[in-house]
Amino acid sequence: MTTFAPFDTVQITEVAGEIFAAMIDGEPGLLFPWTGGPIVLSEPLFAWVEMHDAFSGRVVLSTETSTAHALVRGLLGMTGGEAVSEADLVDAFGEVANVVGGNLKALLPTQGRLTLPVVGRVAPSTEGLTRFDGAALSWCGRPLDITVWRI
Amino acid sequence: MRALVIDDSRVMRRIIAGTLRTIGYSTSEAGDGREALDLLEAGETYDLACIDWNMPVMDGLEFVTAVRENREWRGLTLMMVTTESEHGQIVRALAAGAHEYLIKPFTPDAIRDKLDLLGLLPIEESV
Repeated sequence: MTTFAPFDTVQITEVAGEIFAAMIDGEPGLLFPWTGGPIVLSEPLFAWVEMHDAFSGRVVLSTETSTAHALVRGLLGMTGGEAVSEADLVDAFGEVANVVGGNLKALLPTQGRLTLPVVGRVAPSTEGLTRFDGAALSWCGRPLDITVWRI
Repeated sequence: MRALVIDDSRVMRRIIAGTLRTIGYSTSEAGDGREALDLLEAGETYDLACIDWNMPVMDGLEFVTAVRENREWRGLTLMMVTTESEHGQIVRALAAGAHEYLIKPFTPDAIRDKLDLLGLLPIEESV
């Protein structure tokens, strides 16, 4: 049986790198592959979107909540000392997942639908899903995991 | 000049509106297409609408279609600002009546360039 493979780890890394450079960092080169062994998060935050197309899948971003706070500060141009509200944290981390998912969906051969982002402190259920691919990344030395699940 | 930023993400509205204000626009915001239509129906007028595609209640494509069905709003320039980057989706939006298309992620310069193309940069910003 042939399994359709719409994108791979390198493409996921490239897509994420372009997004972070444009929207969060203002320059390329701050997001690269994680080399610190398996990513284990103590206070994780998850954000995910689903795409329904020739490939139906779920794209899940996860990182430490403190890293998500830093991401939001970057996105909004805030200084390191400024507090991020819970509403902004959820909204912005979801939007990052939305942009990552949307740009991965653009690699698919046909048009499809992207769901609205969901954000949670607990990983979404993966019952009945198969891990398809992913990219373990380092943003400013902090782990950020992107996992793609086949639905 | 006045712009209406339509996106279900409050953070994204803040980013886009902030860029537009830097350029010289005054801005209003709506969380979905229906909210945006309510503003237009109430008589608010804008030079530009920046429209996300995927939104609850009324999505961006439905909003563009609704605006183009009303001759009173034909002076409103419509720019999609969205993650929907497939060629087919861009064609759909332009066919529905959008004037320009900006793909997320974008930079402030990209917004400025699109407005320049549309002839919608305030005089002091024009190159």
